[in-house]
Amino acid sequence: MQIFPRALNKLPLYGAVGSLVGLMGAIAVPWYYFSPKNLQVGYEPKQPVPYSHRLHAGQMGMDCRYCHAQVERAAHAMVPPTQTCMGCHTLVKTDSAMLAPIRESWETGSPVEWVKVHKLPEHTYFNHSVHVAVGVGCVTCHGRIDQMDVVRLDQPIAMQWCLECHRNAAPNLRPKDQITNMAWTPDQAPPGWKAPEVHPPTNCSGCHR
Amino acid sequence: MKRAPYPTEAPREGQKAVWKSLGDKRNPDAAKEAAKSELLTPITLSRRGLLGLGAATAALATEGCIRRPVEHIYPYTKAPEYVIPGVADHYATILSRRGELVGALIESHEGRPTKVEGNEEHPTSLGSADLLMQAATMDLYDADRSTSVREKGKRSDWGAFDRALAAILKTSQADGGARVRVLVRPSSSPTLLRLRTLAADKFPHTRVHSYTPIAESNSREGARIAFGQAVVPRHNFAFAKTIVALDSDFLHGEQGALHATKGFVHGRKLDRPSDPMSRLYVVEPSLTVTGSNADERLRLPASEVDAFARALAAEVAKHAIELGSVKDAVADAKAPEGTERFLTAAAEELAANKGKCAVVAGRRQPAHVHALVHALNTALENVGHTTSYAPVVDVTEPADLGADLKALADDIDQNKVDILLILGGNPVFDAPSDVKLAEQIDKVPTSIHLSSHFDETSEHCTWHLPMTHELEAWGDGRAFDGTFSIQQPLIAPLHDGRSVIELMAHLTDEAPRGHELVRATFRERAATPARFEGAWKTALRLGLDAGSNSVRFEAHATLDEVAAAIKKAPLAKSIGPSNLEVAFAPCNKIHDGASGNNPWLYEVPDPITKIVWDNAALVSPATAKALGIESEDVISIARDGSKTIEVAAWVQPGQADNSITLTLGWGRENVGRYGNGRGFNVSPLRTTKAMDMMDGVHVSKTGKTYKLVQTQDHDRMEGRPIAIDATLDEYKTNPQFVLFPNEEEKRSGSPTPRTLPLWDRAKYEGHKWGMTIDLNACTGCNACVVACIAENNVAFVGKEQVYRGREMHWLRIDRYFIGESEDEPEVAFQPVACVQCEEAPCENVCPVNATIHSEEGLNDMAYNRCIGTRYCANNCPYKVRRFNFLEWRGPEGAQQRVQDTYQEIPETEKMAFNPNVTVRMRGVMEKCTYCVQRIEEAKIGSRREGRAIGANEIKTACQQTCPADAIVFGDLNNAKAEVARLARSDRGYALLAILGTHPRTTHLGKIRNPSPALHHHREAPEPTKPALGKPPEHRTPVETPK
Repeated sequence: MQIFPRALNKLPLYGAVGSLVGLMGAIAVPWYYFSPKNLQVGYEPKQPVPYSHRLHAGQMGMDCRYCHAQVERAAHAMVPPTQTCMGCHTLVKTDSAMLAPIRESWETGSPVEWVKVHKLPEHTYFNHSVHVAVGVGCVTCHGRIDQMDVVRLDQPIAMQWCLECHRNAAPNLRPKDQITNMAWTPDQAPPGWKAPEVHPPTNCSGCHR
Repeated sequence: MKRAPYPTEAPREGQKAVWKSLGDKRNPDAAKEAAKSELLTPITLSRRGLLGLGAATAALATEGCIRRPVEHIYPYTKAPEYVIPGVADHYATILSRRGELVGALIESHEGRPTKVEGNEEHPTSLGSADLLMQAATMDLYDADRSTSVREKGKRSDWGAFDRALAAILKTSQADGGARVRVLVRPSSSPTLLRLRTLAADKFPHTRVHSYTPIAESNSREGARIAFGQAVVPRHNFAFAKTIVALDSDFLHGEQGALHATKGFVHGRKLDRPSDPMSRLYVVEPSLTVTGSNADERLRLPASEVDAFARALAAEVAKHAIELGSVKDAVADAKAPEGTERFLTAAAEELAANKGKCAVVAGRRQPAHVHALVHALNTALENVGHTTSYAPVVDVTEPADLGADLKALADDIDQNKVDILLILGGNPVFDAPSDVKLAEQIDKVPTSIHLSSHFDETSEHCTWHLPMTHELEAWGDGRAFDGTFSIQQPLIAPLHDGRSVIELMAHLTDEAPRGHELVRATFRERAATPARFEGAWKTALRLGLDAGSNSVRFEAHATLDEVAAAIKKAPLAKSIGPSNLEVAFAPCNKIHDGASGNNPWLYEVPDPITKIVWDNAALVSPATAKALGIESEDVISIARDGSKTIEVAAWVQPGQADNSITLTLGWGRENVGRYGNGRGFNVSPLRTTKAMDMMDGVHVSKTGKTYKLVQTQDHDRMEGRPIAIDATLDEYKTNPQFVLFPNEEEKRSGSPTPRTLPLWDRAKYEGHKWGMTIDLNACTGCNACVVACIAENNVAFVGKEQVYRGREMHWLRIDRYFIGESEDEPEVAFQPVACVQCEEAPCENVCPVNATIHSEEGLNDMAYNRCIGTRYCANNCPYKVRRFNFLEWRGPEGAQQRVQDTYQEIPETEKMAFNPNVTVRMRGVMEKCTYCVQRIEEAKIGSRREGRAIGANEIKTACQQTCPADAIVFGDLNNAKAEVARLARSDRGYALLAILGTHPRTTHLGKIRNPSPALHHHREAPEPTKPALGKPPEHRTPVETPK
């Protein structure tokens, strides 16, 4: 005796496959969509002054360290003081409307409110100077800043991403004179150059204190 | 939650009793029961309550979820020169406390001072700092400091005050300032002295009075008797073989303690059993830090120390020591009852170590005792060897500050004063009771008070002026050896204050600008004007003017003068059950109460009593029994001519019978959220005649009780050998006493580890961080505890939370009493922080890997991974993990800390945080990290500069501040590192090695050097048998460094 239609015989199979797909989806969807790679990369907030790295670093070829002067000495690369901007802009584009907040800051002494793009996870201590010292290029973490009009987050600054490099740093190292070279590729390395032996910390206290 | 107690071994035969408190000793069963409980106070939560809380937690779990907030970066507009954001600067300056100054090096982050260290260049500090210095940043950022000028309690401003003062001074110039009085605290500042001279030119009839509640008057006067001038004795304890301290806490409470500690410890550091070691005899009424470190200690009421000193001199004279007329003066001296053996032993040893001993008297003792001590040092030929003298730096200080204050009060009473300028200090709070200063000040038409808080004195004054903190103002001073030192500000005044010298300048024609005033004083020192700028800059960089120390000289006491003074001075009545004594002592934590709103200091347990957030009247067990009082009973103490005070009693082992010790500086009424109402103000009991001690007091029970909270019963170690000590003789016969206390154990070998490692033990090839803590050096002064708080942003939690066992200190100093006697126990201090076990029990039980080992052997703690199960703390045999039960920096935590309704941690307090250490939130576990931020900074620095880390380059905060150099940190794999050498010491032992945890911290056993003459009843130790065989297995093996 058949109570249910024959068509329903496959229902358990459909159910099993369907719930399996559903389960995988329930894992995969948050895995990707809630990941820093999806949520953070591409963060491109509007800045108080439409400062263009493409113009300054790209077209005019200014060295990164002209403004981010402490990158070799301190944990912070340092967003430059208004003074640095005014060093040139007392002579160049002295009445540009876009530069009004800079001039205002210079006159009033109140800082320019830049919006932070490269935010570390909470409770993490990052040090620029040691990364630069061993030969990690700016472009490795910050992307082609020299081609950005507005600074955009290029890499997911999250623990897994950090650890990928800390576990195998050699591919991301370059000669120290090429640190600020945005267009450098490993095949440009001088013959015989070998990435230095570094042992970046992979334990908690390397970054969490 | 209850757990089964750890199985503890039965005490070994002949093992000394070790106990932490009287309660534990008298009732060991209750202590055992209490140790079973995880929480000190049980949680009483019903099933319904638990379900309700669970539901609320679930509902609130998503409450904090928001998109990442937008953050801003605020760069400088004009960047200050030499400031690199994120890199700390260090500036040399001075900090004054205990009436003297100490050289300090202040760490500053972008212009925000965060941490105090000692200045290695400065003779007063030699790189170390004490707990008051370590807590100075909290004083600076105290949110309850006065923020404005007030006239009759109402807000005013400096302009109004300046106009008012100018008008008053103009009128009083007519009579030469005869109706103007100034009250200052004794100061060694050359600028202040210079301004006083200038002011005297302008106002020749103005009198300047000095007052401080804890004064050096007695020792100054004693020196005047002995040498004809006030000099400061300077002892080099490193050269002394025998030290006799007469009621002197020279390791903690007296001036020059940092310097003294360095020398004292130097004379006792043992690398091997054959090293020489000094012997310290202490005679004192109450257990002090110095007394705890004594090899032979005699408890004696403070009033009887005089008689003891005379008898000691008489006894010394019997050993062919030439005391001249002093011998006659003390000839009929009778030693207090029961002290004869001690006295004979001490005298014999002093005489035997002529030229290699030192006798010191404490500030509490009367002038003629100091004079007698000078005579003894002269006769014992110590002058020029262990003892020398330096001129007093503040020559204007009157001989008797109490009398000086009384003179001021009398002048006011006779209507001779129109203007009273009180520059610093809080005399209404700490004046003795026979000076009715509050009422007197009310009578003065214009009274002006410069102080950091609108305090008890300010309330009575016409004008209150906010005073700058030392870290905010220019100043100068002379160190105890005369070194000219400069105080340079680290930050602009936070609250629009002025300094003492700036206010004093108003009485002169100088402009009231601190920088100019100090420079003008310094200019007088420069050889030529051209050299001035260079010398000034060098002095600022070093914090002192090199070579400006006064020449130490060898003064020899005039024995006839000393003899005359002794003959003239009457002996105090002997102390007994019918004649009780009170001795006043500076607090081991807050000293005279000048840092009266400093929560760091309040929460640090007292080194001896371990009480937090309160002071107490210390009573000996026998006296307590006789008076029928127990700890926490409120007693009233009365004496003719004094105000009666009420204070909670605390029964204290080691206290002299019939003598009650009261600590000064407590019981503030008007200082701020942390200090108000803490403890008991004992100053009203003092009189100008009896500032230091008094007899004939009447003690009675009030029937009230007061909850005193102490930490000594927290973290019991349940009867295991923890703080291991031995006598020097025992060490000589058995250098491995820490592992094998007796011959039998040596023969049977050591117990094998009960706990085998769970897996193959890791090899540490690179850095291998480790620490040694020398119990023989540690004096228990608590400087390391406060240094740790300041360095690692450790929260304070308030009295009630400490009662519940929730204190957050990463580093604690356990204080053990040893021996059967409740009256005269021996004391051992043991600093315990996380020992960074290689086989860490905490790591095995963490469900989320929040605590995990690094490849350098650190037991890392990732706060943002911790979910707060507290399994790790349960499984830690050392009880060093601390849990954030509340958001200590949030409203609920703030409420707990101050028992009031403050809603948020003050903004200024946040400025004290070290930016390189995470501020922990509620629900996470934390513990000592070996200052991992300093390790990482050194590693990054060395990599940046392409060099190796120096053998002794990294210093942890506790190590850096330790005046005794008891703590040493470094790389055990580096043969050049001090720590690698010390970890192999035969005194080294791993705490609870039997558990197989393999700690990285090695404690070095304490050695005592008791007098053979006093302990001949002890059996002579058996002659040693060499060849001890291979080291025992349960000891942490120390790999041979590469």
